[in-house]
Amino acid sequence: MELKDYIDKKLISFLKSKTKEKVLLELIDSICKNRELGNRKEIKEAIFHREKLMSTGIGLGIGVPHVRIKDIKDLIVAVGISKQSITDYETIDDIPVKIVVMIVAGEGQHKSYIKFLSLIVSKLKNHGVREKSIKATNEKEIYGILSS
Amino acid sequence: MVFESKLNILILIGLTILLGTTGSRLFKKFRIPQVIAFIIIGFFLGDSVLGIINKQMLSSFSFFNIFVLGITGFLIGGELKKEIFEKYGKQFINILLSEGLLAFVLVTLLVVLVGNLFFDNTSFIWALGLLLGSIASATAPAATTDVLWEYKTRGPLTTTILGIVGLDDGLGLVLFAFASSITFAIIGTSATAISSIFLHILYEIGGSVGIGVLGGLFLSLIVRKISDKYGIITFSLGIIVLILGISKLVECDILLSAMAAGVFTTNFLPRKSKEVFESTNELMPILYILFFTFFGAKLNLENLTLPIILIAIVYLIGRTLGKGLGANLGARISKAPKTVRKYLPWCLFSQAGVAIGLSILASQRFPGEIGDSIVVIITTTTFVVQIVGPLAMRIAITGAGEAGLNITEEDIIRESKAKDIMDTTIPLIYENVSLTEILKTFSETDNLYYPVVDKNKKLLGVITVDHIKNSLATRGLDSFLLAYDLMEPVIAKASPVLPMVEVKEILSRYNLEYLPVVSAKDEVLGFLERRQISRKISTKLIELQKQAEALG
Repeated sequence: MELKDYIDKKLISFLKSKTKEKVLLELIDSICKNRELGNRKEIKEAIFHREKLMSTGIGLGIGVPHVRIKDIKDLIVAVGISKQSITDYETIDDIPVKIVVMIVAGEGQHKSYIKFLSLIVSKLKNHGVREKSIKATNEKEIYGILSS
Repeated sequence: MVFESKLNILILIGLTILLGTTGSRLFKKFRIPQVIAFIIIGFFLGDSVLGIINKQMLSSFSFFNIFVLGITGFLIGGELKKEIFEKYGKQFINILLSEGLLAFVLVTLLVVLVGNLFFDNTSFIWALGLLLGSIASATAPAATTDVLWEYKTRGPLTTTILGIVGLDDGLGLVLFAFASSITFAIIGTSATAISSIFLHILYEIGGSVGIGVLGGLFLSLIVRKISDKYGIITFSLGIIVLILGISKLVECDILLSAMAAGVFTTNFLPRKSKEVFESTNELMPILYILFFTFFGAKLNLENLTLPIILIAIVYLIGRTLGKGLGANLGARISKAPKTVRKYLPWCLFSQAGVAIGLSILASQRFPGEIGDSIVVIITTTTFVVQIVGPLAMRIAITGAGEAGLNITEEDIIRESKAKDIMDTTIPLIYENVSLTEILKTFSETDNLYYPVVDKNKKLLGVITVDHIKNSLATRGLDSFLLAYDLMEPVIAKASPVLPMVEVKEILSRYNLEYLPVVSAKDEVLGFLERRQISRKISTKLIELQKQAEALG
């Protein structure tokens, strides 16, 4: 499995919102719009329920909101870069979040979902990758950094 | 209120099966053996009340009665393995002789005593007493074994009952021969007739055993080469019916022949014959419905006069006391287990086919008043003991603690609900629990699947060992991945009252290894894992086996 197989250039964006809630909604909208999904409400509820159980702010300025949804067929990944930092994300090291990778998978995609999660987290744990991504000026550049 | 029956035989059979089975289910609620329901329904359908099943129809079913008796004999024979004879042989003989002979003596004396009050002819009274006494020794195998099978009994009492009902047919024949010969003597028949009757009985017993052994050998040789159930049951039935037919043709005892075939088969092919007996046994529920309903229909109250009623009553008293005291005495002499001594006397009251057969034989050998009286007394008393006998037996086998010990895996599944088998100690994993904590739970328990619940214990999903295996690759995410992330959706779930038969059906339909058990509010009450179901059932079977062995 490679990250580039799942990262879609069209789902990479520079985040406009500044709060965690709005950022999550922005990425959900982006996914639903891009993939023409009709179950936005379900995805939204699942994402927020998961955040309520435990924040997906894993430290080092990274947020990885993720859920599995019944009617989703493919693993969908949306990447959002925040130039301003999201201070209310609740992270384990209190460092404000700048990179958010939202993963929406199907119920039966347990294996690839966990694998992707593991790959993206290890990738982003690399200081250089994080710095380059945050400093990138366009989506194509971010795609290049994450999928290399 | 006798209607003229215009029903054809098929409607009659259908009606009998439906009414019989409905009645037995109703009776079961009151813990009354099903045999009684069949007989009572038969009585109402018969000539005495509604006349739906009339004499003509019954006579066209005489072959069916022989068939059922034959199958019963064969199955009883199947229970009498070499080890049983070795272990209980002496006990069987002691009990058989004491209960049979005491019933014979007491009935003879009481009938003679009461007969003297109504009849002047001493020869007639003694003839009646002796013949009734000899018939009293027989015990009905069909009604007795039906109660044992219905209550799934196992233990020394069950084994003794089966041994006795199987063997006292032979004793009945010998006593009947003895009584016949004396009757011939006292009513003035020549000595040649007496000796010829003895010879005939010898021929009857020897011939029956011979036919049975040959049939059993034939059956064993064929069955040894067959593996499919359908083949086993068809060959078995074919050979049993042949044994019965030949036995009848050469005037031997059908029950003894069939039993001899059963004894031979079970000892010649100890392992393979199990399939033969199990397959044949599957036919019994439906055969018994018809057999006993027809039996109930046969009762005709028109021929009952006061002397006959009184003699019937003393016959019942003498037989009950004789069999009861005799069984107890025999059990004491042979040092049988306490349960056998205490409860066997209550298990030998039933009389049916053999007694009726002997009464008909008596009516043929001694036509006129002796023969007619015997037929009426035996038919009437048979009706009474067929009602009382199974009831007394049910109380006895329950008291002896043998009911429900002879059950199979299928029986447990058939009679259990999800709540009886489910694992209620399964740890619940809350949705917000991290992978690190889940791994700790896994290491402390031996389950392969765990239900994931919300804070209200409502079922959300299931975590499997497979999921955890995949997640182990995600090093560094242990405290970050939650049960919510790792669980798989629930495909099916069960309510606690769902029968285990349906649980098994769901497991195989969805190819599942587990099934969570939830309340109406979806709260997890327990968990069913395929491998644990098997383990739990095996444990239960072993427990029951130990219980049966502990009884003696």
